Amino acid sequence: MKIIKPILLSALVLTGQPLLADDLISGEVKNYIGYGVIVFMLLVVLVAMLVLLRAFKVLTKVLLGPAAYAELQAEEAAQKAGKAKPKVSTVEKLLSLKPLEEEQSLIMEHEYDGIQELNNPTPAWFMGLFYVTIVFAVCYIFIYHVFGIGQLQYAEYKTEMAVAAKEKEAFLAKSANKVDENTVKLEADAATIAAGQSIFKQSCVPCHGDHAQGVVGPNLTDEYWLHGGSIKDVFKTIKYGVTAKGMPTWEKQLSPKQIADVANYVESLRGSHPANPKEPQGEKETEEAAAKPEAKTKAAMIVGSK
Amino acid sequence: MQPEKFYYDNKIVRNFGIATIVWGIIGMLVGLLVAIQLYKPAMNMGNQYTTFGRIRPLHTNAVIFAFVGNAIFMGVYYSLQRLLKARMFSDVLSKIHFWGWQLIIISAVITLPLGITTSHEYAELEWPIDIAITLIWVVFGINMFGTIFKRRERHLYVAIWFYIATFVTVAVLHIVNSFELPISFLKSYYLFAGVQDALVQWWYGHNAVAFFLTTPYLGMMYYFLPKMANRPIYSYKLSILHFWALIFIYIWAGPHHLLYTTLPGWAQSLGVVFSIMLIAPSWGGMINGLLTLRGAWDKVRDDVILKFMVVGLTAYGMATFEGPMLSLKQVNAIGHFTDWIIAHVHVGALGWNGFLTFAILYWLIPRIYRTELYSKKLASWHFWIGTLGILFYAIPMYWSGFTQGLMLKEFTQEGMLKYPNFLETTMRIIPMHVMRSIGGTLYLGGVIMMAYNLAKTMLKGSLVANEAAEAMPLAPNYTKAQDGFWHRTLERRPIQMLVLSLVVILIGTFVELMPTLTISSNIPTIASVKPYTPLELQGRDIYIREGCVGCHSQTVRPFRSETERYGEYSKAGEFVYDHPFLWGSKRTGPDLQREGGKYGNAWHYNHLMDPRLMSPGSIMPNYDWLITQKLDTSNTADKINAMRKLGVPYAPGYEKVANRDLNKQAQDIADNLAKDHIKVNSNKEIIAIIAYLQRLGTDIKANKTASN
Repeated sequence: MKIIKPILLSALVLTGQPLLADDLISGEVKNYIGYGVIVFMLLVVLVAMLVLLRAFKVLTKVLLGPAAYAELQAEEAAQKAGKAKPKVSTVEKLLSLKPLEEEQSLIMEHEYDGIQELNNPTPAWFMGLFYVTIVFAVCYIFIYHVFGIGQLQYAEYKTEMAVAAKEKEAFLAKSANKVDENTVKLEADAATIAAGQSIFKQSCVPCHGDHAQGVVGPNLTDEYWLHGGSIKDVFKTIKYGVTAKGMPTWEKQLSPKQIADVANYVESLRGSHPANPKEPQGEKETEEAAAKPEAKTKAAMIVGSK
Repeated sequence: MQPEKFYYDNKIVRNFGIATIVWGIIGMLVGLLVAIQLYKPAMNMGNQYTTFGRIRPLHTNAVIFAFVGNAIFMGVYYSLQRLLKARMFSDVLSKIHFWGWQLIIISAVITLPLGITTSHEYAELEWPIDIAITLIWVVFGINMFGTIFKRRERHLYVAIWFYIATFVTVAVLHIVNSFELPISFLKSYYLFAGVQDALVQWWYGHNAVAFFLTTPYLGMMYYFLPKMANRPIYSYKLSILHFWALIFIYIWAGPHHLLYTTLPGWAQSLGVVFSIMLIAPSWGGMINGLLTLRGAWDKVRDDVILKFMVVGLTAYGMATFEGPMLSLKQVNAIGHFTDWIIAHVHVGALGWNGFLTFAILYWLIPRIYRTELYSKKLASWHFWIGTLGILFYAIPMYWSGFTQGLMLKEFTQEGMLKYPNFLETTMRIIPMHVMRSIGGTLYLGGVIMMAYNLAKTMLKGSLVANEAAEAMPLAPNYTKAQDGFWHRTLERRPIQMLVLSLVVILIGTFVELMPTLTISSNIPTIASVKPYTPLELQGRDIYIREGCVGCHSQTVRPFRSETERYGEYSKAGEFVYDHPFLWGSKRTGPDLQREGGKYGNAWHYNHLMDPRLMSPGSIMPNYDWLITQKLDTSNTADKINAMRKLGVPYAPGYEKVANRDLNKQAQDIADNLAKDHIKVNSNKEIIAIIAYLQRLGTDIKANKTASN
């Protein structure tokens, strides 16, 4: 029974420890308190056991009287001396096995088709293992379903997301990565275009073609745009996607900086006239178009007449 | 009293033995093919009958029910007769059992490549075959108990306890997991849907491992190991303890296959803790086996049969420790859906089931043929090449599992997934898959060597079809022996043994299944979740036919890495019309639960025609026959009727107009594809599967305010 208690406690600690995190008191402080309490409790138990042991000894001495006590001690000493008799190997001791020579006395009466069985006890370590797993199981159920200390999957998810959001914010605050569809700017430096190109090759080529000439998705090199051709529009289209038309959302796969890079790369392709272009889709947009409204109407007419 | 003379039936043992070897080679050959398909898509061989999705169930069914199944019957028919000192109850039943089982296997070999499947793992066979399995299993049971009743040995040896528990539990598992509503001769829907269906399936799936791959083999170990080593069983008490503890605890552990799914939390936790408590009872078998060899280790050095046994027992010990570890939530979060699980099951299958089977074959064939093994050297080669094969198989798969599991969870500092494209992780593990197939080839090579060795042995000797034996008949009046340990009483009462085993396995079954199957609050409904349209329903059945579930899961776990990758985590209420559930157990490709609306119809069309057009480097097979094959709409009404019977709220009389809706939706998709210059008739199968894929997970997107 003495063994069970520390096992139970340490099992409680081990299974409960990652779950003590909470927002009310800072997790660290709570951890320290928890560890302190546990160490203190263990010490108390230890001291209590020592005191009890001592008390028992004293009690026996008092109850038996001095003569009988001396006899008892002599007996114990004799027992200790006598124990040194059969040689058992360390492995056998660890496995709590009886020496092979004693086997004959363990053979049971019955046999089946020549198969005999020995009357060996179940090994102590094996039983220990079994009990420990049972104690673990009881503690587990208590932690997760009775005391509610442990987080079940949905609570665990909330914690994970909260931690991640905090970390992300802290990181983005420090870096130049914080760009969105309102702040994105047209850039044409070689580094940006190269970065954009490599992302384009990886993610966009299957639908838009290796030279952005359009396959399933539209041609990105002409002057016709389905969802706007300005850097801000392109950024927005990439970021949120147009799921109705098959353009996926890239927000979760590309960082803001990466989206800006690839949008700039797309802008850099305008007028590149690749081979086998897909026919124009959407509305014509040129730099003049923005300035001259009648040109836009004309473009719309061309599309409409198709 | 005079001793009675009788004959053991060795012919039936020989027949099951040959079937074991033949099906073993076939099953492993198919396994090798699917392993190569995972890095060489061309090995799908460009036709629908040999694609991974349809062939992989053939591999699992062939090795579990054909190879291991026949090996069980071989071992049971040999040991049962000798342990009971009686010939099998009926030669006719033995023959029916043998040929019936082979016919069932052949029907699987025919139906699975044709895409006739229920989609429940290790229970893929359709309802007529399920009935056949039940009948043959009953034949086996009658034959076994008939033999027990005419026994000349008062008490039942531990091996027979395991056989009895196997018989009764497999019967319960198979029957409950075959609750199907047939709509035609070769198509049915499971009675349960979604979470409930998943729970029943993994209660079954987990215990198929327990009571088909484990308990009968433990029973065989208890007979053959002491025979082979000529040593007494180490501890009778240990065998009692671990037998009862094993069958009681095993039945509870099924939900560890469904951690982090929408299964209620309490059921998941029960799965975890019972898995942990299973360590000791499982190890009881290994310990009793290994300690039986105590004092005979010098024999192990010389005897290849004992070597097979030792490696088999050790593999069993490793797998039964690893299993509980994988059941811990934190470990499961990484290992589940990856190759880690593939490694885990193959340590058990190749090491424990395979090696024990080989040892028994090497031991038993020369004995029933009254001769010596043809070549001990060849057997020794088999042992080493087989062990090497296991290592070459398992190590790369562990490596691959860790790699992919960790890659999928990795985030950059910007808070983005480091590998947002699932394909990147697939391509990273291809070298490991190549290594794995080399390991598999080595192992298969060993089996072929064994087949040759045993064939030569059979040719050398001659079968003793009826082996003479003698034993005293049972005295009509039994007087209790002196060594009366309480369990001895039970050992002379086979029916009580049967009933008690049944009670012990039903406790866990009831406590775990009943609340989820009967209490509606365990599965909260969602108002926006609607039944599938007729076209989507047909598409879903194509999805099932092609075995897509073999590589694509449909359940998003509540992890940041998954909600970022796939979208909102799954809710129990989303699956209420899913007969059967299609959550899957392995992600060779990405999860598809939120696939709807992610890509356009044209993307799906091109991707199904040739996945490498849209995802360069993909290992998915081409599905070009979906473009040419016409969708069979003659059964739409039957399907709607069946679904309504199962509780899906289609309006009364809807089956009459269902095909009108189906055609309209199909035409819309065809028109949409035409805009992208894809000309395809709206009556083709590809239209239906696109409709289904575009529907997946969208009910919740439509109404985000729905509570979970």
